[in-house]
Amino acid sequence: MALLQTGTRRLSTLGALARFLFQTVSSWRWLPRAGRRVVNRVYLTQVWFTALQAVPLIIVIAGIISFTVISQAVTQFGSLIGATEVIGQLMIIVIVRELGPLLTALVVVSRSGTAVAAELATNKVMGEVEALESMGIDPLHYLVLPRFAAGVVSTTSLIVVFDIVAIVAGLVAAVASDMSSERYFDLVLQNLGFQDVWVTIVKGMVFGTVLGIVPSFYGLRSRGIATDVPVASSRAVVTSIVTIFTLSALFVVVLGG
Amino acid sequence: MSAPLRIEGLRVAGGTGPAIDFELPSHTGVSIVGEETSGIDALARIALGRRPPADGRIVIFDTDIRALPRSDALAFRRRVGYLPAGDGLLQNLTLRDNIALPLRFGSDFTDREIDGRLNVLLATVRLTDAARYRPAQVSDEQRRRATLARALAFDPKLVLLDQPFVGLTQRAARDIVDLARGGETADGSRRTVLALGHSLPHAIHSRFERRFRLTSDGLIPLG
Repeated sequence: MALLQTGTRRLSTLGALARFLFQTVSSWRWLPRAGRRVVNRVYLTQVWFTALQAVPLIIVIAGIISFTVISQAVTQFGSLIGATEVIGQLMIIVIVRELGPLLTALVVVSRSGTAVAAELATNKVMGEVEALESMGIDPLHYLVLPRFAAGVVSTTSLIVVFDIVAIVAGLVAAVASDMSSERYFDLVLQNLGFQDVWVTIVKGMVFGTVLGIVPSFYGLRSRGIATDVPVASSRAVVTSIVTIFTLSALFVVVLGG
Repeated sequence: MSAPLRIEGLRVAGGTGPAIDFELPSHTGVSIVGEETSGIDALARIALGRRPPADGRIVIFDTDIRALPRSDALAFRRRVGYLPAGDGLLQNLTLRDNIALPLRFGSDFTDREIDGRLNVLLATVRLTDAARYRPAQVSDEQRRRATLARALAFDPKLVLLDQPFVGLTQRAARDIVDLARGGETADGSRRTVLALGHSLPHAIHSRFERRFRLTSDGLIPLG
C-alpha cells in the first residue's frame, strides 16, 4: 500500500514537472516585447554563471579522466595484450558519448542546479515572487524562462567543451605513453561517426532541459518558509541526478549510445 | 465617474459574517483595519486577483481581474500601484533596478525615458543617494520607500497599501501616505489610496478621509 502511494506521488510530481515545462515554454508567446530585453539580460547572467564559470572545472575533470583512462589503456592493453586499437572505442564510446554528458550534467546540477533551486525558493520566502506577479510580471518570464534557456545552452556547450578537452588530454596521455599522435588520431577518428556527434548534442539538449527546469520547479514549489530552501535544493539535485541517469540509460537502449 | 474600486458582496475565505459591499470614492484616502481573523490580510490579494474570495468579488476600474486571461490580468495589474506587505524587493538588484523593473518589463519607454522617470521617482521618495544599494544594505524605511516608488512607477490612479506601516515611525508612516496620495487637487488627493492593515498610527488618521474597521459584523465606519 505504501509502495503504491509512493508510486502515485512520484507520478503526480512527474506530471506536475511536465506541466511546468510546458507552461514555461509556452509562456514565451505572451512575453511583452519590452520584457524580452530584461529576460535576455537575466539569460546572459545565467549563461555566465552556469557555462562560462564552469569551464575551468570541466577542463580539470575532462582532462584528468581522459588522461588517466587513455594512459592506463595504452600501458595495459598495449603491453599486456597488444590491443591498442581499443583506445579509439574507449575514447569515443566511453568518454565522449557516455561520461562526457553524464559528468557535465553532474557538474551543472551541483554548481547551478542547487543555486537556482535555493535562489528561487528564497525569492518565494522573501515575497519576491508574489511582488513580481502583483506588478504585472510573470515569474515564469522573469525567473524561469531565462534559467531554463541558459540550462539548455550551457549544458550542451559544456558537453562539447568536455569532449574536446577529453580528446586533447587523451592525445597527451597517448604521446606520453609512447604512442604517436598520428596513430592516436587514426584510432579516434576511425571510431568517431556522425551519430556520435548528434547523439551527444541531443543528449546535451535533453539533459539541459532537465537541469533547466527541475531546479526552478522545486524552487518555486516551496511553500515560502525558510526551512524549505535547503529542502528545495536537495530535492532538485536528487531528482535531476536520477532523471539524468535514467535518461542516459534510455539513450543506450533507444539509440545505442 | 465610477468608483476605482468596488467590493461587491464579498466574503473572505473562512468569513462567516455578512457580505461586504463598499465603493472607494475617487481622489480620497480610505483605510480599513482589522484583526488577523477578520480576513484583512487577504483583501489586497483578492483585489488583484491573486486569491479567490469565498463569495462576491472586488472590481477595479470596472474590471474583475479574476475574469481576465492570465496575460491580460498581468498587464492590468500594472494599472494599480501595490505596496505589498513586507517589501518584495528583489535582493539581487539595487533599489534603482528594483524600481526600474516594472518600467523595463512592461512599458515601451526608451532607456533614456526610463532613466528620467527613475530620477524623478527617486527624488520624490528621497532615495537618490541610496539608489545604488541593495535592499539588505538599507533601512526598513528606505526599503518601504523604494517599494512605494516601484508601485508608483506607472503613475497609477489607484494605490493599494497592504500593511504599509509595520515597523515604521509615525513620521515615516505619514510620509508614505503623503507620497501615495501624490499631492492634493481640487477634487481631493491626486491618487485614490486604500490602506489595509491591522492598525493605523494615530498621527496619520487625518490623512484618510474615511476610515473603517473590518469585523465579523462587516465594515464599521470609524471616527
